[in-house]
Amino acid sequence: MTEIKKTYKNYVDGKYVRSESGKTYTIELKSESYELPLTSKKDLRDAVTSSKKGFDSWNKLSQYNRTQIIYRLSEMIEGNRDSYVELLVDHGLTKSTANKDIDNAINTIVWYAGLADKWEQLTGNLNPVDGEFFNISHQEPLGVVFTLNSDEVSIDKLIRSFLPSLSIGCSVISFSEKNAVLSLKLAEDVNNSDLPSGSLNLLSGDFTKVFDDISRHVEINALASYKKLNKESLKTINENASTSVKRIFHLPSEDGLSSILPFIETKTVWHPKGR
Amino acid sequence: MDKWEYSESIESDSIVSIQSKYGHFIDGKFSTPNSKKYLKTVSPSTEEVLASISVGNKNDVDSAVNSAKEGFKIWSKTSPSERAKYLYKLARLIQERSREFAVLESMDGGKPIKESRDFDLPQVAANFFYFAGWADKLDISWGTKEIKPYGVVGQIIPWNFPLLMLAWKVAPALATGNTVVLKPAETTPLTALLFAELCEEVGLPKGVFNLVTGDGTTGSELVNHEGISKIAFTGSTSVGKYIQNAVGERDIGLTLELGGKAANIVYNDAALDQAVEGVVNGIFFNQGHVCCAGSRLLLQEDIHDEFINKLEKRMQTLRVGNPLDKNTDIGAINSKEQLDKITSLVNEGVNDGGELFQIECALPSEGYWYRPSLFTNVQPSYNIAREEIFGPVLTTLTFRTPEEAVEIANNTEYGLSAGVWTEKGSKILWTADRLDAGVIWANTFNKFDPSSPFGGYKESGFGREGGRHGLLSYLKVRS
Repeated sequence: MTEIKKTYKNYVDGKYVRSESGKTYTIELKSESYELPLTSKKDLRDAVTSSKKGFDSWNKLSQYNRTQIIYRLSEMIEGNRDSYVELLVDHGLTKSTANKDIDNAINTIVWYAGLADKWEQLTGNLNPVDGEFFNISHQEPLGVVFTLNSDEVSIDKLIRSFLPSLSIGCSVISFSEKNAVLSLKLAEDVNNSDLPSGSLNLLSGDFTKVFDDISRHVEINALASYKKLNKESLKTINENASTSVKRIFHLPSEDGLSSILPFIETKTVWHPKGR
Repeated sequence: MDKWEYSESIESDSIVSIQSKYGHFIDGKFSTPNSKKYLKTVSPSTEEVLASISVGNKNDVDSAVNSAKEGFKIWSKTSPSERAKYLYKLARLIQERSREFAVLESMDGGKPIKESRDFDLPQVAANFFYFAGWADKLDISWGTKEIKPYGVVGQIIPWNFPLLMLAWKVAPALATGNTVVLKPAETTPLTALLFAELCEEVGLPKGVFNLVTGDGTTGSELVNHEGISKIAFTGSTSVGKYIQNAVGERDIGLTLELGGKAANIVYNDAALDQAVEGVVNGIFFNQGHVCCAGSRLLLQEDIHDEFINKLEKRMQTLRVGNPLDKNTDIGAINSKEQLDKITSLVNEGVNDGGELFQIECALPSEGYWYRPSLFTNVQPSYNIAREEIFGPVLTTLTFRTPEEAVEIANNTEYGLSAGVWTEKGSKILWTADRLDAGVIWANTFNKFDPSSPFGGYKESGFGREGGRHGLLSYLKVRS
């Protein structure tokens, strides 16, 4: 029987889409090679439109609800463990390393799932101001976040690039280059986890072809690169970002509470006390 | 109602001694500038030249950064509790010499002595006390020991709260183990220079605090210096953007506290007399030279006429004049340049069709002054409703529903602060949740505290100053 090969597409607004440009690039694995969408500027703008809406729908859900949705992602991955392991092995990992990576990824998801309804208790606080005032530093998600993922072959690493911002309520455009097969494979489980459309968009392509546009786009609130950028890219990104005071995070923490700190806006509210 | 006549009550300036010429403060001592260039700092209330200050050039900034690098070697090995003690000592000295600082601040910057004495200076001391106490608790501040300072921090501060902005920047930077090169504003360097003397007096290790005075070119040298690991800036959004751009390929820390055009929303169920007081304080505090000033008054339509009537009456009681007079509410505009900017924006507002009310009062013949001003009949598209005027000018807009109030309030590139006035608690929380602003004052305005984080959303910048959150502006945190 002829074996059927999967076509990987970008995951935007809850749908699997090809690049409007029709362009693709090739990722060659050990036994298989894949043609992936080469995300164009237009694709990216569509993703931002979706992420804007996704931010609202993600934030309409209670944090309790968001916890369960993120937890569901771990259930989905566990259920499809074999297919991930197979794909990771095709990327060059040993079977045991691949299994270990899935274990780590699941643990990471479980950790962030539980954080989704607790983080504000860890990062916000009352402030003991001198005077008769109630003063609280409430915590809010930054908005639409674009992440550039590392090229390391690891589902855990991939997840650590979007869960910090996603778990606290940001919507995320997650962009992968060399490991995009993993990301677009993950899209299937993201799709089955009840994440609202647009809360997490997964794209593949060549960052050098889109970063000028991304760093200029005023509706992307922050750009976080989990991959080391060369000086030239960093220069362009900072220059473009400065036109709208966009937040730029180069190699942010991927671990623990510090991983979410860049994506928080602190809103401090004062009110007098009295009778 | 006519204004009551007050006798003058002038704070004596004999307590301050101003040198005719100042150098930079580098490596623990004052030094003559390499540039050999000086500029004059002028009292905006008398136009009298107070002193000549050095204009730092590339070599001056180089020396200061090198000194801060050397200082970092010592400071990073200084135990946290020792760092704390230096800051406590500075706080104490500031309290002791508070009156001297307050008079000098009012002379150099033009703000009323009432404010420099009762607001700026107590807050300055409080900031040093507050952050002193964090110096030996950083490991428990954010639940991780994996924290470290940036190293040499370049700090650029504005002229509206010269010494307080120094305190906001220097106290947390030193508490977290960084060393500092500070560039004060061109028009208000004198209190920073006096602060440098205190650093000498407490025996702060050499190179931990460095001060380079000058103008925009000096700031630019500092921002572009390769030896800086982090830049902290407070000032206009346009300069903030210049700085973010200038960071370029350097992978360094950056926090920006930029401009604002805060909405002060008054609902029809507010306590109107209190709201009038809050609105007056919101815009006329410090001549309106406040980035978080409540410069857009948003009135619910049905209370517009009544509120404006009360507001104009209250405004008429404001006393404009000599900053050193203890009865003065509104001091001098900080500089000729700023006065021209305010004048031009107000003229534009009138030409656009805004209705202008200015209080009747005599203005001194010398110095830079502007009458407290109120615009009504304004369209949201007018520049006076969009641009930061940074002066005693309030612009009024109206709304019908809470949804509309929020929409108008957020319809700006800025997001620094906002005010909400209503007696209904649920409406405060509903509104506060929806406002894009880093600081929200409900039934109050322009309150500050070292423990309370301050900083903006959107183009008002990023990073927070003050509070536990303020530590993050000076620490690299992993895990």
